[in-house]
Amino acid sequence: MTSRLSLPVTMSAMRVDAKVVMLGKESVGKTSLVERYVHHRFLVGPYQNTIGAAFVAKPIQVGEKVITLGIWDTAGSERYEAMSRIYYRGARAAIVCYDLTDSSSFQRARFWVKELQNCEEHCKIYLCGTKSDLIGGDRSLRQIDYHDTQDFADEIGALHFETSSKTGNNVDELFQRVAEDYNSTALQYMTAEETGVDLGQKKDSYFYSCCHNN
Amino acid sequence: MDGEAHKGTVSWEDGTLAPVDHLRSERADSPTPGLVEGTEPGAGQKSAMFVHAQSFEDLTAEAEDEVRREAELDKSGECAEGLKVLVGEKTIEEQHNNDITSESRTKEEDVTGEAWRSHRKHVFVLSEAGKPIYTRYGTEEALSSTTGVMMALVSFVEAEKNIIRSIHADGCKVVFLSKSPLVLVGVSRTCQSDKELLRELQYIYYQIVSLLTLTQLNHIFQHKQNYDLRRLLAGSEYLTDNLLHRLDRDPGLLLSAVTCLPLASSARDMVSSGLQAAKSKNLVFSILLAGDRLVTLVRKKDQFLHHIDLHLVFNLVGSSSSFREGEGWTPICLPKFNTAGFFHAHISYLEPASELCLILVSTDREDFFNMSDCKRRFLERLSKRSAYQALKEALKCPSYSVAQVGIPELRHFLYKSKSSGLYTSPEFPEVYQSDKEQERLMGLYQDLHSSLHHPSRPLRSFYRCSETENLLAWVTSGFELYLCFSPLGTKALAVSAVNKLLKWIRKEEDRLFILSPLTY
Repeated sequence: MTSRLSLPVTMSAMRVDAKVVMLGKESVGKTSLVERYVHHRFLVGPYQNTIGAAFVAKPIQVGEKVITLGIWDTAGSERYEAMSRIYYRGARAAIVCYDLTDSSSFQRARFWVKELQNCEEHCKIYLCGTKSDLIGGDRSLRQIDYHDTQDFADEIGALHFETSSKTGNNVDELFQRVAEDYNSTALQYMTAEETGVDLGQKKDSYFYSCCHNN
Repeated sequence: MDGEAHKGTVSWEDGTLAPVDHLRSERADSPTPGLVEGTEPGAGQKSAMFVHAQSFEDLTAEAEDEVRREAELDKSGECAEGLKVLVGEKTIEEQHNNDITSESRTKEEDVTGEAWRSHRKHVFVLSEAGKPIYTRYGTEEALSSTTGVMMALVSFVEAEKNIIRSIHADGCKVVFLSKSPLVLVGVSRTCQSDKELLRELQYIYYQIVSLLTLTQLNHIFQHKQNYDLRRLLAGSEYLTDNLLHRLDRDPGLLLSAVTCLPLASSARDMVSSGLQAAKSKNLVFSILLAGDRLVTLVRKKDQFLHHIDLHLVFNLVGSSSSFREGEGWTPICLPKFNTAGFFHAHISYLEPASELCLILVSTDREDFFNMSDCKRRFLERLSKRSAYQALKEALKCPSYSVAQVGIPELRHFLYKSKSSGLYTSPEFPEVYQSDKEQERLMGLYQDLHSSLHHPSRPLRSFYRCSETENLLAWVTSGFELYLCFSPLGTKALAVSAVNKLLKWIRKEEDRLFILSPLTY
């Protein structure tokens, strides 16, 4: 019990400004997206699924300020689903990825959106259609309609991007937008967070950890 | 060939392997390597680093215990029908060497084809409902009728209150390992003993448990007997593939031991104390790897890491490039430690292009940033010391040539110190440069290992001449030694080489082994 109370504190004790979580079905290209944004590269070769999750901190210039995004690239495999909560808890932004050429991956994206709406109401959602280079080459490969997704995004108050990690198209724009949105709302959350954890209030803290752990 | 008798466990080996204290003081003065546990070259000085109650026997004993009360059922006649389904109608003439090269996973393979049948070693994992969970070759979907037959065999024998252990026929062995809720089946054309094959299946079982925990496995199958476990294992097949590949090639898995990066003890001690200093409340193990070699391991007092668990960690890190992307954070069950729960491992490389991988194992899933901080502190401290430079230098030559030993006829060897659970081995010489030759040599070592550890007729030593090489194997209570000589050598020469080699290892033990393992 005691360790549980301290959990939310330790998980956010890193010197990053905004926690960003990547969610989505396996093999939609979450890791490739992060890889492109952080290391400016696209690795060709056999698909390798992420094990657990990978964390990377990336500073980004927003106007005069430098904001550090702490990006959690989670594994899409169902095996880690129970663990996913610790990655999105307290996240300021969630990039929910789906593969533009795979309609089932959009179903999974809807699942994550619902999950976030239920558990992390302050987390801003960015819908991200990946592998846009594929449909650039052959339009018939597209399985997810752009306008349908835009309507869905409007409905849930999310932003909508279509990216290609292979060409780099729209990738920087996506993360830049995440950082800018964070910057413009940072102040109001900061004041809210300072009063967030009070270990004296046992009942409330317990309630908090219950909701967010299970 | 059929009907080899197995009489359960024969306790031919002394069970108490705890280092003997009074012997250790003697060791320091005597240049002659001790043959007794705890005094052999490479033996740890303080407390042992791994759980090593019975190393190899430890692995198979478990399975044998379950079966001890049951008589082995050899149904060579009756089961031949069922067997044909598994291995094909006819014995395919010794094709052993032809298909070694196609080691990579060929999922598209036609499971009804001759090529599929002629693989040297098949491994299948199925649920007790007979559903396929994993196959080494081909796709699981195509194998549901085959796994159905396998499960029928298991159930049929169980109905008579017996347990099926193996079927021998047509130069082929089918070995069964029942680990509820899973059943593992190995089909092999190699000359490995049942016990060796069982040991390999056990590893595969542990690999699956390490991903899910046994508690979760039981829970799933209690609720839904015909659950398709592949859903949860999706994306992990390559870990199992890789482990099977290692089982064929890695002497560490054969010897139940781990090898170290050769490093001056002063540098190693500096690295170890750096890890020791970077501690945290829930941190249980800090492991620094250089490729497949252990640099150092620091553990919580009274907590031991079993070599099997360590090999599973090696396999996880070695199989995946995903930890190069950032700092990895993953749940991992260490089944020899506890099959019920997950540890959480922080896995990262010290530098982007470095071979040095740090694994910090915590009990708390929320501990990521604490572990990340431990790593930062360790790296900060290490980069200020000259030891880091020495470590980087050592990475350039992670192995050594057998020529250093100074025995002209000696081509290669494996030496395992039983009390430390560590082994050392030189790089492969010219004659064994190709993959095929290396696997052949490993196969020879496996044969020797099988003979030494035969369940009913174990041997102390074994000398074998052939056209291509002469081999000598020797096991004492302190060590296990496997030597490969040129075919022109004599037995007398081989025997005299042993002493010389042991003296050399004793001289080099500071560099080749971790003699003083640390705790936080």
